Amino acid sequence: MPELRTWRHRRAPGEPVSAETRESYYGLPVIHGPHWRWPIVFYFVLGGLAGGSAVLAAAARLVGGDWARPIVRVGRYLAFLAMLPGPLLLIVDLGRPERFHHMLRVVKFRSPMSLGVWGLIGFTATAFLSLLRQAATDGLLGRANVVARLARRLPDRILAGASLVPAFFLAGYTGVLLGATAVPLWARNALRLGPLFLCSALSSAAAALSLLLGSRAETARARHAVERVERLALVGEIALLEAVRLGSGPVIGRPLAEGLAGGAFAGARASAMGALALHLLAAVSPRWLGRALRLVASLLALGGAFLLRSSIVFGGHRSAEDPDATFEFTRASR
Amino acid sequence: MSSTTGVGRTRARPGAFGFLTDTTLCIGCKACEVACKQWNQLPMDDFGFTGMSYDNTGDLGATTWRHVAFIERIADREGRRPARLQPFQSNWLMLSDVCKHCVNAGCMEACPTGAIIRTEFDTVVIQQDICNGCGYCVPACPFGVPALSPLDGKAHKCTLCYDRLRDGLEPACSKACPTDAIQFGPVHALLDRAKARVAELRAQGVEAHLYGDEALGGTGGIGGLNAFFILTAPPEVYNLPAKPELPQRRVLPGFLTSALAALVLGIATVLAFRREKEGHRA
Repeated sequence: MPELRTWRHRRAPGEPVSAETRESYYGLPVIHGPHWRWPIVFYFVLGGLAGGSAVLAAAARLVGGDWARPIVRVGRYLAFLAMLPGPLLLIVDLGRPERFHHMLRVVKFRSPMSLGVWGLIGFTATAFLSLLRQAATDGLLGRANVVARLARRLPDRILAGASLVPAFFLAGYTGVLLGATAVPLWARNALRLGPLFLCSALSSAAAALSLLLGSRAETARARHAVERVERLALVGEIALLEAVRLGSGPVIGRPLAEGLAGGAFAGARASAMGALALHLLAAVSPRWLGRALRLVASLLALGGAFLLRSSIVFGGHRSAEDPDATFEFTRASR
Repeated sequence: MSSTTGVGRTRARPGAFGFLTDTTLCIGCKACEVACKQWNQLPMDDFGFTGMSYDNTGDLGATTWRHVAFIERIADREGRRPARLQPFQSNWLMLSDVCKHCVNAGCMEACPTGAIIRTEFDTVVIQQDICNGCGYCVPACPFGVPALSPLDGKAHKCTLCYDRLRDGLEPACSKACPTDAIQFGPVHALLDRAKARVAELRAQGVEAHLYGDEALGGTGGIGGLNAFFILTAPPEVYNLPAKPELPQRRVLPGFLTSALAALVLGIATVLAFRREKEGHRA
């Protein structure tokens, strides 16, 4: 149960009450902040991982040859497994979890959360069918039974093509969802959060896949391809992280510079830059060192995705509490 | 306040009902808060003293749908005591805050269950049998009105006494207001009354202005507020945003940049995989 409301205003000792009411109302928040905490952070990370893996698996199926089979296989399994906790995390976060199905009453194109529910359902459907197809190919469903025969008959390439749209959607809509609120930090970055989450989703999924593909010789080409995607996504992620930092300005961007959320944001930047630097270093290192560097780089990219989502979600809490940031946003917006 | 476009204009529909809250008439008695709590059977909040003038309510919340703000403007921005008092209220400002029942409501557009609806009175109401407490309406409101209740996990806010309106009664707060600082009625009639009142106050030398038209408060796609205010200080002093924006304005642009990013990333992925094919054939 949330704690009762308490008033923490920011009067310095000895200052008169009137000092607080010159620019704002006793320094109290103008808007109400979100209640979203760790379940939502984990959902954002896992949703990105699932969406990114599905994108990589689909792309590998569509344009990759035999060498890309391991990407398709591991990507499809990872996409489904990473998606599984998502609905549970979302339902746990509701004030009335037993009413989760009320989300299915309507489709609202101006509500990213409503679209997100339907997008998640679409993703689940394509991810599940892809999983079935892959399991049948791998012989996990047995040989002669009905399920295996039906699953083997699923059109593989069409399935891969159809899964691309919900996969990209799942990886990016959460950024749009945050941007469509009155929280100044999110609203100011409404155009950047979606692309940022997409880049982070792809880099973290590529990192996870390269870790899962291991260092065996027969998956070496697949791992190289995935690591190339990881590097490209990291470049985009670093650019967008800087755009968010600089575009927020000194007042609205305060939560990204101070406190725990600020630390997490700095960590996300450092992880992305570190991962990219290690990848580049690995390219010019001897083989045994390169392998270790790539391993650390992938772990860094995965950790960075987590730090990024935490800093943006919890930074939003700080931002909503800050009347200066709200007023800065509502004065400057026109 | 610098812009003059949209002054006194609203996109409220002809049959809309709303509030005019005239802060120059408010005496800070909190009868509206009490009447609201009684009629809507809202439980009490944290009982204590805040140290913020006579305001021990603090904020609108799940169980507080009217909130009287007290602002003691006894010093100006530089800390000097004012040489000249407003001719009527000794620079002690009081404002009874309430849900604005926006013409285009951010909370309603955000709601993924359709629990938040626009009624036949053009007011915005959260249907309690539908709300599942997702909490998206809470940060989607540019004024900080809806809140999740720790008691039942659902979002709550002012209903503009929907049940009373259905029975032809005026809302409890405006009924209880002893000075008619809170007036209830059709939005367009109230707006005309508000404009006349602002002109009258200006003639007396009071720097009065309207908050809740398309120039101030109802800006950025909100299209005006069905519950609007007459203020005598900048809106920030009352903890109101001067030029808020409808958050859903950013949904389509956000999806467009995301789609562009998805396209670029998709092409980059395909190219990365293609290069692998060629690179190793050599």
